Amino acid sequence: MTHDAVLVFSKSWGAVYLLTFFIAAVVWTYWPKHKKKYDDASNLPLEKEDKPWR
Amino acid sequence: MDRSSEHLIAIFFVVAIFITGLVIVGMGSDSGYILHGWLILLVAGFGIKFIADRMMDTDTSQALEYNDDIIKLGILACFAWGILGFFIGDWLAWQLAYPDLNGDIAWTNFGRLRPIHTTAVVFGFGGNALMATSFYVVQRTSHARLAGDVTPWLVLGGYNLFVLLAASGYPLGITQGREYAEPEWYADLLLLVVWVAYLIIFLRTLARRTEPHIYVANWYYLAFIVVIAMLHVVNNLAIPASFGDPKSYSLFSGVQDAMTQWWYGHNAVGFLLTAGFLGMLYYFLPKAVNRPVYSYRMSIVSFWGITFLYLWAGSHHLHYTALPDWVQFLGMAMSIILLVPSWASVFNGLLTLNGAWDKVRTDPAVRFMLVAILFYGLSTFEGSFMAIRPVNALSHYTDWTIGHVHAGALGWVAFITFGTMYKLVPWVWKRDGIYSIRLEAWHFWLALSGTLIYVGAMWNSGITQSLMWQTYDSDNNFLYSFMDTVDAMHPYYVARAIGGLLYLIGALIGAYNIYMTVRGPERTKSRGHAEPVIVPGE
Repeated sequence: MTHDAVLVFSKSWGAVYLLTFFIAAVVWTYWPKHKKKYDDASNLPLEKEDKPWR
Repeated sequence: MDRSSEHLIAIFFVVAIFITGLVIVGMGSDSGYILHGWLILLVAGFGIKFIADRMMDTDTSQALEYNDDIIKLGILACFAWGILGFFIGDWLAWQLAYPDLNGDIAWTNFGRLRPIHTTAVVFGFGGNALMATSFYVVQRTSHARLAGDVTPWLVLGGYNLFVLLAASGYPLGITQGREYAEPEWYADLLLLVVWVAYLIIFLRTLARRTEPHIYVANWYYLAFIVVIAMLHVVNNLAIPASFGDPKSYSLFSGVQDAMTQWWYGHNAVGFLLTAGFLGMLYYFLPKAVNRPVYSYRMSIVSFWGITFLYLWAGSHHLHYTALPDWVQFLGMAMSIILLVPSWASVFNGLLTLNGAWDKVRTDPAVRFMLVAILFYGLSTFEGSFMAIRPVNALSHYTDWTIGHVHAGALGWVAFITFGTMYKLVPWVWKRDGIYSIRLEAWHFWLALSGTLIYVGAMWNSGITQSLMWQTYDSDNNFLYSFMDTVDAMHPYYVARAIGGLLYLIGALIGAYNIYMTVRGPERTKSRGHAEPVIVPGE
């Protein structure tokens, strides 16, 4: 495998990999089913209770 | 893992560190190296006694409460290193304006003091702040006590031993000469053990969580821990010349060595000074203003953006060098795209504040956080801009770079830390509030004016410097000698040193305020105060 071959591979498939991952992350995060989970999570810092459960 | 097996594993590693200290003291020929051997023996010996005491302790019951003592120690270490780092930084600033201030002795020349400044502020101040706050956040958002009986103490103690070995080695000439990775092989090995232990207690605490979801601040802290481990190992691949000498030689050479170093250097900025402190922002800002983060989903998307893009940006430190052009362009392109997830965090922070603007006026801690967000926005924009090759041709090797770094370090990293500390200290020490809101406001204004003077002076000086370097006469000869440019910098260097002094005075006032808060009375159950008390999180 030559330097140029590695270069072509990383230039093309590298971009595809980053773009695919980005789209997957956005779709996953904004999937309507996950809304409640994230809304609940965003309130975690606001709890008044200051004792561990375990 | 139960308590006794944790003790056994811990004692194995601490004894191994102790033996390393013995080897250094026994075989060392360099006096600074032998001094480090004694330091390692002292701290590791103390660690062995600490673990042995816990092993003998038959009372294994543990009250169901968060481990806040470790956080207190981290906060105190953070302030101690911070004051030292700011002081040395300002001393260096005065040295640059008046070079005689190095006292004409080898130990205090610029080249030896400068890494003490960077190590004390980045690893001493920043690192301890991140450890302390990560322990706070991971416990609270997991509803679980920090994992480990002795390990958290060994992690924090070992980490501070590492910073001490680093900072004390430079004036004695012990350095690898790799920027922000100066400590030699034995200190690097110590940090490796400490860091893996840090990762383990963080993950074990997350594993014990009672919440189904891991709060986003923990993701940022985890990215910081994992990536720093990876960077530290790869950039410090080196062979010691002998056990009797601190000197080691890198496995890489030439441009590969340079690329490895700046892959490390830029990601230390990206994951220690950015991702870790974004974790701090995403927990302590919502808590301070009592509003959930504006868009939790956007914080997740920016997390993946930051973690995936930062790793490719390091090559922008090597524009127009022997590095292949395509690697330079790759670093430039990634640096520009990086602006998007960075500004997503900026807007997320500002929109979280939206609706709580009154707190910016009344609560200096929130004001610290607001300015931190603004400086984060400014320096990430500036950084993307400076990574563009033609812009870099103007800015590289000039004071503009120094101004950029300090916009990020003073304006973002330290401001978010101070804002957080003014909230966190009363919480972990169970105080009614900070000792003096007035002093807190003084700290804020001194720090803000110091930062603005510093950054403004460096912008002017950097551009002036660069333009003077690039001015030619009609025969294409340089119009200015290098010395002319040095003379032209003098007023800016004096201004910078004054800005730094204001910042240092502010930090001293902050440290006094924290000290008086810690010394003050515990929180009263019924609030019988004549004057109103600011209550955190309400």
